[in-house]
Amino acid sequence: MPRVLNMWSTHQFWCGLFGALGIDRRNLVFSADTSEEQGRQFGKGRGTVDCCYPVKCIAGHYGELVFGQREKLDIVFSPMIYTVPSMLSGHVARTLTCPRVMAAPENIKGGFIKERDVFVEQGIRYVTPFVSLDEPKLVAKQLFEGGLREAIPGLTPSEMARAVEAGFLALRAFNNSLRKKSREVLEWCARENRACLLVLARPYHMDPGIGHEIEGDLQAYGYPVLWAQYFPTDPDLLEWAFGEDLRAGIIKSPFDIHDVWPSSYSANTNEILWGAKVAARIPWVACVVRLSSYECGMDQPTYTPVQQIVERSGTLFFSFQDLDSTKPAGSVKIRVETITHYLEKYAAAIIEKKKAAMPPGCPLPSQAAEKGPSASLAPSTAGST
Amino acid sequence: MATATTEHYRAYSPKPFTRAERDSVTVVFGGLHWRVERVIQAVLENGGNKAEVLPVATKEDLLTGREVADIGQCCPTSFTTGNLVNFIKKKSDELGAEEVTKKYVYLTAGSCGACRFGQYHQSYELGLRNSGLGAFRMFLLAQDQLDQKAAMGDGLDLNLPMTLGCLWGIFCTDLVQDLEYQVRPYEVGPGQTDAVVKESVEYLYEMFRNRPRRDSWRSITWHLTSSYFTKALREIHRKFSAIEVDRLRVKPTVKITGEFYLQTVEGDPNYNIHRWLEAEGAEVYPAAIAVWMDYLLRLGLQRFEDYSGIERGARLKLGAGRVAQAIYRWNYARLRRAMGDLPHELPNQFELRRLAAPYFNSRLDGGEGDMLVGKALWSYQRKKAHMICELSPYSCMPNTMSIGAMAGVLGKYPEILYAPLEIKGDAEVHALSRCQMILTEAKKRAQKEFDEALAAAGLSLEGVRAYVDKHPEMKRATYRVPHGDAVGTAANLVHHVAQRLGRRG
Ligand code: SF4
Ligand code: SF4
Repeated sequence: MPRVLNMWSTHQFWCGLFGALGIDRRNLVFSADTSEEQGRQFGKGRGTVDCCYPVKCIAGHYGELVFGQREKLDIVFSPMIYTVPSMLSGHVARTLTCPRVMAAPENIKGGFIKERDVFVEQGIRYVTPFVSLDEPKLVAKQLFEGGLREAIPGLTPSEMARAVEAGFLALRAFNNSLRKKSREVLEWCARENRACLLVLARPYHMDPGIGHEIEGDLQAYGYPVLWAQYFPTDPDLLEWAFGEDLRAGIIKSPFDIHDVWPSSYSANTNEILWGAKVAARIPWVACVVRLSSYECGMDQPTYTPVQQIVERSGTLFFSFQDLDSTKPAGSVKIRVETITHYLEKYAAAIIEKKKAAMPPGCPLPSQAAEKGPSASLAPSTAGST
Repeated sequence: MATATTEHYRAYSPKPFTRAERDSVTVVFGGLHWRVERVIQAVLENGGNKAEVLPVATKEDLLTGREVADIGQCCPTSFTTGNLVNFIKKKSDELGAEEVTKKYVYLTAGSCGACRFGQYHQSYELGLRNSGLGAFRMFLLAQDQLDQKAAMGDGLDLNLPMTLGCLWGIFCTDLVQDLEYQVRPYEVGPGQTDAVVKESVEYLYEMFRNRPRRDSWRSITWHLTSSYFTKALREIHRKFSAIEVDRLRVKPTVKITGEFYLQTVEGDPNYNIHRWLEAEGAEVYPAAIAVWMDYLLRLGLQRFEDYSGIERGARLKLGAGRVAQAIYRWNYARLRRAMGDLPHELPNQFELRRLAAPYFNSRLDGGEGDMLVGKALWSYQRKKAHMICELSPYSCMPNTMSIGAMAGVLGKYPEILYAPLEIKGDAEVHALSRCQMILTEAKKRAQKEFDEALAAAGLSLEGVRAYVDKHPEMKRATYRVPHGDAVGTAANLVHHVAQRLGRRG
């Protein structure tokens, strides 16, 4: 499986699914993290169009799987993920993925079959089912008919359905465990009155080659880093954050982003907007770091609203746009230093100001509360998977 | 460092446009081509509104669009944002900003689809705000939500008769445009076609403006059964018949495909590609809006196909949807018949889907999805065009995906003349010279095909010309040359003459 795009937010689903189908975990091979070298070595000459960086890199991942594995692979499995499960179901309209995310397997395939069919040549079956992961009723049928029936001889529809269930269970468990960890970080921050950072990005920015490890560099300075996608969704916390807006009728649920973003149809975009709203309300989130890839069309319309949502609340906002247009290592270092400098200088004041603006009854432990062992967990808890 | 305020950020929400304002407020819209815009204006006026069409976007608009909204926009967003901002700015210079916000509202289409289309309003809003026109009222017409009153007020009553009016307006102007592009390259008197088209569109404007009003459901039956529109189209057919043509000019046929906005507009946003191709000696096969809507219907119904056997009622909905789509296509065919069956028919959506299937999944939406691939193969296999000119907007998301998949198609059919043009708005020379290179090939093919047709029929050009001269009805723009074995108009005419002469063409 290529370690690309929304595989980053759904890989536990696939592991759970194939596990339930009796495929040994050791037989599931993911390509490596994205790197320039990977692209150079395996993807060269197979790109089909000029497009955003995360999609362009897929050719390298495919190439690595097809040509770079020491063991022979039987199947390259690269689903076309049309929708993704999102914690924001309810008052957001849709959970679609970006058109490039969903179509990338078809697009990248073009480069591998244009002269001769590389998959056939290498004796590899290319399986690319179209799958709506936010419509659980459909998933088993889509996977079964979309190539798994042929790829796994003897597979029956009921086995498929059971495997899908196992996949969802695994994914849910994984997401919940990360959210729980994020909650612990937040509680630690509240207890210690310490600042944390929130990353607003697409799930695949957790890939070091796509996100350029910015959050890792920030963590090295001792600031816990949270990802919006794994922000805790516990009712007590959301009630505290959004209760006033709910009662005022501005939103219909804590997951409603209609007040800031009327066109909610893309899951990852919605999550970024929601993350911005959360950041504006949670005092200990003193800084937001926004990551955006080169030529990202989905992010473009969101730049201003996201920045405004965050900055209106007095939270620091730093945006890394067009991440890959130049080799960013040097500039990232300088910016990371700038961010930490600002944090040192202003974090305490920001937290105080934001606390004052929030209603009483914060469910996160106050400073007076007993200090627990989880404080030590904080710096190592980025949402990276 | 930003200063904290207790007021959270909220999205732009315009003040409603009320019924009481109807007589004093003008509804502004645009983004299509002039024929259909003029007719939609008539539909809005027929519904009791004042309406104005935005001018065609220009390069200055592109620059404004880039300047006033967030970076990284697709080229159509830049054009349309700048277009709106410059229009409103100009009006504000004339009337003052306050007066403009009172007297004008802007109406634009939205979508719930996968691309940026449904987020244009975000750029518009930012553009207006950055230009000091933040109070201007702009409304998004969601394609999937018929009742817009809650969101925009009851100033514009977008009721069923009005929606049907827009739909029928699209059908009629698609047909006129299609015939226009078949005729102009061959007209004997330069400018004659343009004059007839202008006259025809004005005629349609009057017809739609004076369309009898029917209440909601009766309006559907009336639109489907009335001879009101077929009569109008017959009259337009008659106007076209006055144009003399010389179809023995050998020209390659170039099918326009691509992203919706770029294939629809005619002007700077697509380097005036239609007119440019004609000037370079091609016959253009334009993209009909009706085809796009037929595709949307197909796409919507695929959902029910997926749920068939999984959810109760899905099959029923699919059946009902298929009936609606059949009625849609039947109605287009009916109107086309009134134009002597001359404009191109709607391609069969299932055929397009089948052709594209090995290269692009039919469930992927955004842009033209698999239709983009399907149309290229269809044009080639069904001999509809010598060349495909694909208009791909700079920074478009879905379009780049479909075009990437075309690499697989071209690997299998290297003989397809396919010109994907990246449209940036300001890199015209590069795009057009690329197009010209492929067009040169297409011209050679058209000529070869013509020569072969003459040889097969044992005729000379002079011989065919003499025959046509003897049968002056064949010189009329409305004379129907059957689409035979050839792609090009001239070659098909030779086959046709050969057949009339009793030779095998
Ligand atoms: S969301 Fe942006 S970066 Fe991701 S695939 Fe789409 S365009 Fe590319
Ligand atoms: S289809 Fe492409 S060009 Fe058109 S709005 Fe969407 S992203 Fe922009």
